[in-house]
Amino acid sequence: MHPIDESIQRSRRDFLTSSASGLGLAALASLLQADGALAEPLQELKLTNPLAPKPPHFAPRAKRCIFIFLAGAPSQIDLFDPKPKLNELHGQPLPESMTKNVRFAFIQKETAVLMGSPRKFKPYGECGMELSDFLPHLGTCADDIALIRSLYTTQFNHHPGQLMMNTGVPRFGRPSIGSWLNYGLGSESQDLPGYVVLTAGRGTSGGASNWSSGFLPSTYQGVLFRSQGNPVLNLGHPPGVTTEMERATLDGLLDLNRQRFTAEGDEEINSRIAAYELAFRMQMAAPELIDLSDETAETRAAYGVDRPDAKIKAHRAGGPGQYAQFATNCLLARRLIERGVRYVNLYHASWDHHSNLNSELAFNAGMADQPVAALIKDLKQRGLLDETLVVWGAEFGRTPLGENRGGRKLNTGRDHHPYAFSVWMAGGGVRGGQVVGRTDELGWSIEEEPIHVNDFQATLLHLFGLNHLKLTYNFRGLNVRLTNQGGKVIKKLLA
Amino acid sequence: MATEDDFGSQGERPSHPGLLDWLASEFVRRDWSLKQLHKLIVMSATYRQSSAARPELAAQDPNNRLLARQSRFRVEAEIIRDLALSVSGLLDVEIGGRSIRPPMPEGVASLGYADSVKWTESKGAEKYRRGMYIFNQRTVPYPMLTAFDAPDSSILCTRRERSNTPLQALTVLNDPVFFECAQHLGHRLASALPESPLKEQIQYAFRCCLSRPPSAEEAERLQTLYQELLTLCRKHPDSAAQLAGEQALGKEQTSGKLDTAQVAAWVALGRALINLDEFATRE
Repeated sequence: MHPIDESIQRSRRDFLTSSASGLGLAALASLLQADGALAEPLQELKLTNPLAPKPPHFAPRAKRCIFIFLAGAPSQIDLFDPKPKLNELHGQPLPESMTKNVRFAFIQKETAVLMGSPRKFKPYGECGMELSDFLPHLGTCADDIALIRSLYTTQFNHHPGQLMMNTGVPRFGRPSIGSWLNYGLGSESQDLPGYVVLTAGRGTSGGASNWSSGFLPSTYQGVLFRSQGNPVLNLGHPPGVTTEMERATLDGLLDLNRQRFTAEGDEEINSRIAAYELAFRMQMAAPELIDLSDETAETRAAYGVDRPDAKIKAHRAGGPGQYAQFATNCLLARRLIERGVRYVNLYHASWDHHSNLNSELAFNAGMADQPVAALIKDLKQRGLLDETLVVWGAEFGRTPLGENRGGRKLNTGRDHHPYAFSVWMAGGGVRGGQVVGRTDELGWSIEEEPIHVNDFQATLLHLFGLNHLKLTYNFRGLNVRLTNQGGKVIKKLLA
Repeated sequence: MATEDDFGSQGERPSHPGLLDWLASEFVRRDWSLKQLHKLIVMSATYRQSSAARPELAAQDPNNRLLARQSRFRVEAEIIRDLALSVSGLLDVEIGGRSIRPPMPEGVASLGYADSVKWTESKGAEKYRRGMYIFNQRTVPYPMLTAFDAPDSSILCTRRERSNTPLQALTVLNDPVFFECAQHLGHRLASALPESPLKEQIQYAFRCCLSRPPSAEEAERLQTLYQELLTLCRKHPDSAAQLAGEQALGKEQTSGKLDTAQVAAWVALGRALINLDEFATRE
């Protein structure tokens, strides 16, 4: 078949006559029957499910991903990439040659000076990975972590940077990583979406565009689970509608839609029937998911679900209750993964520390360090880490120069730095216990193993058994991919 | 033309090149008027065919490229909202003017840029204007529109996707805007023919929402559903009061001789009708 025909066939069969947002239909019929929710089996409806599990291009190492996105951009210099020389040169200007062609978001070049870090770094694990004193819990996972100190991006403002990291290009309209994974692999979840987003802190600069499915059908978009009330928008019945009434209504809809199918013979009607039944199932499943009462006291304590916020002034962190919220989200991420969700995106904003970096970062790191480490250990202990990729990432890093906007003399924060920053991966076929890449003495530029954001994305897809050059969608006459025009798999990261 | 985003050598050939040529020449002849062109198309015998499936065509032309029947499509996101507002009598049909901000569920707007998005709900009749007037906040797109495949308006889009998802079902079932429509529709249905037999009331309700009379089978099933809902509303008077929402809607007199449970059952039935596949489908 001609590729164009194939793509048309696919878009009609798989997408237009499709159903279910992140919900596996394969097992639906039997499940509904088992529940007695349906009088007759749904098999006869010959449902096509765009999220039915699909085979990857080659044997995968990772099957699920938890991507923890620290929006605003944490300072790698104060967390992951120690720079003794920078401390020595604290207060001195950079030679003009280094900043000549550089654009900053806020720094005024003429008066900018280097800013050392008061953090103490020490080696962790058998691998001896150096991490800052803000990350003592994460240090205990060092041998599972592959720390990349040489990631770079092309974007120095938040929204384009976040889009770059999530969608491969710094513009609106492209599908995010989670959408690509669900498009390529489907989802194993039977009654939850394949791509779930959890947030804490303030809204991210990119908002919902960070988990958009772009030009892919909305079936593949990230579904935001809210922290308060019903986890999914419109999950609860309107006032006065009881569960009994809902069931009667859905049964009526089922019969009437079927009668219409008899007359019209449009498969889309069957997809609608399935979508309504799955909506009903989601209403049943979601409350169970967010009910943490079946977690042991040890687990809750390990994640720090009940922790109060640290008593540190941090006006950017997003208001009170962040410690409990972030920890809860980490625990929910594990529960989602356990239920077959393909991709969980966990956001916290903001880490945009232009000022008061020491106290603000102390608050945020204190919030993230313990639950993230607990998540890795919990996954490992349950035998899930081998097939679950955990990522800590952001849109860029922060400058070795102190921020001096408005002629401010006292440098208490750092500006945006796209030329070299740190992210890490763990589990899911990643070779842990290693540091990849090296920055110069000041942390300004990369000296060894530069990794473009698209390379990082190509590697992530590779872990899922997907060739980033082959995972494409025909849009406006082009076979578009996550890695845009670039991307190469970083072999060093693979186990 | 299946590849309307690619007229180059990689694109597919049109199915009816002669027809396209003729339409193009008519377009010029009719003074380049799109309105005239649209009228010409929608009044054609081809366009006015039934969309019912014909088994003999299934093997020959499964995708209906040859137009031996009308195609059947779920309508666009904005139109789904317009339809619900329309049958409920709430739709404000004013043309032009500034964008509107219909009610946004709590906790959605705050996800925009560092909590800086101010979504000030439109007041009065304005919030019932057509979906095409909904303000497009790029970082916080209106969830109902996104759920029904409204494209990201910052990039070019030649054809919308039409997915069919549980989130869409949840939206029409439970979104406050749609529930408000169901309530107003329920009051409309309850007060239209209060003296008539149930069968006629059901026929009226069906015609209101789907612009055709129900089949005997459909009418019977709806009648059963109404009776079931009415029984439940009688059993749970508090729920019935919430459903009817008479106080909130200021319609104490709406129903004349009907009691609250009856009005509530009509609201629940209206809610069912706007959730039918056919309601959101152009046949």
